[in-house]
Amino acid sequence: MSTAVRLKIEAIDKVFKRRDKPSIEALRNIDMEVAEGEFVSIVGASGSGKSTLLRIIDGLITPSGGRVLVDGRPVDRPGPDRAVVFQQDSLLPWKTVIDNVAYGLTLARVPKADAHRTAQRFIDVAGLHGFEHHYPHQLSGGMRQRVNVARALAVNPKILLLDEPFAALDAQTREIMQAELLSIWQETRKTVLLITHQIDEAVFLSDRVIVFSARPGTVREEIRVDLPRPRDLHVKRSPEFSGLVDHIWTLIEAEVRAGLRQG
Amino acid sequence: MRRLYELLEQDTRTAGLTRVAVSTVAVLVVWQLVSMVVTNRLLLVPPAEVAVALVKEVETGAMWTNAVATVTAVTTSFVVSVAIGIAVGLALASSQALSLTAGPVLGALNSVPIIALAPLFISWLGLGFASKFVLVIMVAVFPVVVTTEAGLRATDRQLVEAARSFNATRLQIFTTVTFPYALPFIVSGIRVAWARALVGIVVAEFFGSFAGFGFAILAASQTFDTARVLGYVIMLGAMGLIGSVLFAALERRLAPWRQE
Ligand SMILES: Nc1ncnc2c1ncn2[C@@H]1O[C@H](COP(=O)(O)OP(=O)(O)OP(=O)(O)O)[C@@H](O)[C@H]1O
Ligand SMILES: [Mg+2]
Repeated sequence: MSTAVRLKIEAIDKVFKRRDKPSIEALRNIDMEVAEGEFVSIVGASGSGKSTLLRIIDGLITPSGGRVLVDGRPVDRPGPDRAVVFQQDSLLPWKTVIDNVAYGLTLARVPKADAHRTAQRFIDVAGLHGFEHHYPHQLSGGMRQRVNVARALAVNPKILLLDEPFAALDAQTREIMQAELLSIWQETRKTVLLITHQIDEAVFLSDRVIVFSARPGTVREEIRVDLPRPRDLHVKRSPEFSGLVDHIWTLIEAEVRAGLRQG
Repeated sequence: MRRLYELLEQDTRTAGLTRVAVSTVAVLVVWQLVSMVVTNRLLLVPPAEVAVALVKEVETGAMWTNAVATVTAVTTSFVVSVAIGIAVGLALASSQALSLTAGPVLGALNSVPIIALAPLFISWLGLGFASKFVLVIMVAVFPVVVTTEAGLRATDRQLVEAARSFNATRLQIFTTVTFPYALPFIVSGIRVAWARALVGIVVAEFFGSFAGFGFAILAASQTFDTARVLGYVIMLGAMGLIGSVLFAALERRLAPWRQE
């Protein structure tokens, strides 16, 4: 694997100031690096600032301190080198699948024919062939999320940022989507940063798993996943796999429980 | 019977047209029955006599004169109302300060029965086009203002964030997210505005006019010609219905995802 650093996060802090209420410290002194072509996941209790970090990396919000570098250059706003798949449905309901996938390209003023050609390629990659002219409400949740992934891939970003992309899906669909994501990643060699609640999902997909502590989010531990690639669903039955999952679970269990008590 | 009921329940154009046809026939039947009981022809005339009166109006050319007067006045004022309504709604949605200061005034104006000011408008602006134009705008503009502002404000944060993540400019966010999201709201406001515009034009024509459906209704009722009154009321009803059906169809077309 090439070892060039694609994404570098330096001493990121984020404090949300609120009117008439105490401010919230969401992130404290986050440092991390993601190599070119690497697949890294972040897991952590709810409210540990994972989505906040992802928004900062994408440039949707500005950090209170620290900076984000892509290929060594600081970034402070969204750019074509990064694309996000959000947890919530964020397809335009009045656009067809192909127009949704082409959306990022259209915003970048790519001519329509070219945009549609590229979109078609990623529709095929995402296994949505034949659904080009459907509207999002005519698709299942799993298909909609594949459209979201295709839309992010279509702008050809260097870094794919995924915020719990499969959280809303049922267990079976999720497993299938994980396998598909892996094959897409192997094909496109994107750098991927995935946020997830599912520890087994993180271990199954990643080269490295970063465990966040509860609020304020800090990097608690980084775990290298040395399971051989390419991986298929059988990996999940291996003892190495369960060992890693158990280890990560003990790291965050106490915090998840504490979070539950706080409500 | 059951088959007909199932057809009526469907969400197709044929079903929609059948629904209109069925309710029209039902009204005609009830009307006919009632007019057989109520025999005072000053109060009520049966459908056939109204049809005869309408034919006569067409033959004398009065129908044409009145239709031209009403339709031109109401459509021009309505189109202008919609344009003004959208513009004002846009302004209110884009400026918090404006919305806070002008909002309550508009809300108050909206709840005042402006139609009651019709005589006043006519004494200010005379019997011509101007008074009708202004009255229709005053009654029709508010639903568009309110729904435009509400629709633009209701916009989906998540969609805006997705657009921003693709580096969309503010104008692109507006044209690709905020406005399309608001459009079905706006059209529902336009539908209400059309109904109000018809009320506005009739009242304006009652008070000051020499042609138009409102004028014709008033003239006929002063000569106790109930058949003619009802004939013109039906014309107005048809205009209202056509508008309502068209705008409802447009709303569905713009927001198909809301149906299922
Ligand atoms: N715009 C905001 N204004 C104020 N507080 C915010 C804002 N966004 C996030 N927060 C707070 O920051 C903290 C971290 O939120 P964030 O959404 O990043 O957590 P998360 O790790 O993604 O949680 P989850 O796993 O539930 O998605 C939370 O306490 C949240 O309430
Ligand atoms: Mg989150």
